[in-house]
Amino acid sequence: MTFDAIGIAGSALTVHRKWLDAVSDNLANINDVSRTSGKAFQARYVEAAEGSDGNGVYVKSTPQGSATGRLVYQPDHPLADAQGYVRYPDIDLSEQMGALIVAQRGYQANAQVVDRARETYQAALEIGKS
Amino acid sequence: MFDSVTSVALGSALDGLSLRQNTIANNIANINTPNYHAKRVQFEDALAASVSAGNGYAAPTVSTSQEPTQLNGNNVNLDTETLSNVDTVLRYQFAARAVGDEFTAIRTALRTS
Repeated sequence: MTFDAIGIAGSALTVHRKWLDAVSDNLANINDVSRTSGKAFQARYVEAAEGSDGNGVYVKSTPQGSATGRLVYQPDHPLADAQGYVRYPDIDLSEQMGALIVAQRGYQANAQVVDRARETYQAALEIGKS
Repeated sequence: MFDSVTSVALGSALDGLSLRQNTIANNIANINTPNYHAKRVQFEDALAASVSAGNGYAAPTVSTSQEPTQLNGNNVNLDTETLSNVDTVLRYQFAARAVGDEFTAIRTALRTS
């Protein structure tokens, strides 16, 4: 393709945006309470893989976290079972915040690549002008 | 005229730099991909040898970086890649201008009668 570098950086912007979406979804649901008979909210993870022939990056799969979560003793909660337990999702806040920063920085780095690539293609388009 | 050593060498340089930029874009795109190894593009030495042999054509070669990896098996270094990216853009603009000047010279010659 003609403007390869922009497409490659674009694929990485997509992957990082999906990762940001997944992290914000996990953070938004970090305190979801469910009955012990049901499933806990399952965190979403994004697995990135290298595209074939140096064609950027793509989302290979989106594995889900544990549905077991963790049991918390809250006898006064309306969803508590006979023993007084409710189910919380097993999401580590600091891990998610770390991922949030890494995803954001990755997005920014690739946005810069688009700028650099544009400068190069601009120079190529100037060839032959006098 | 268009197959002089200068024109061919400048063409090879533009091709090599363009491939290097795509490779850098790919390295930065995979900055968070587990087990990804950075790629490097070399063509300067081959081009210099080719020019001194009076040819001017040199195909770029791609190799995989052997630098130590992080815990996730990835060895892309954002500072190196960004520096190399800026460097490549400037070199490309420089070579593109040289090609433009080459054409300007030809155009001048065509006008002279």
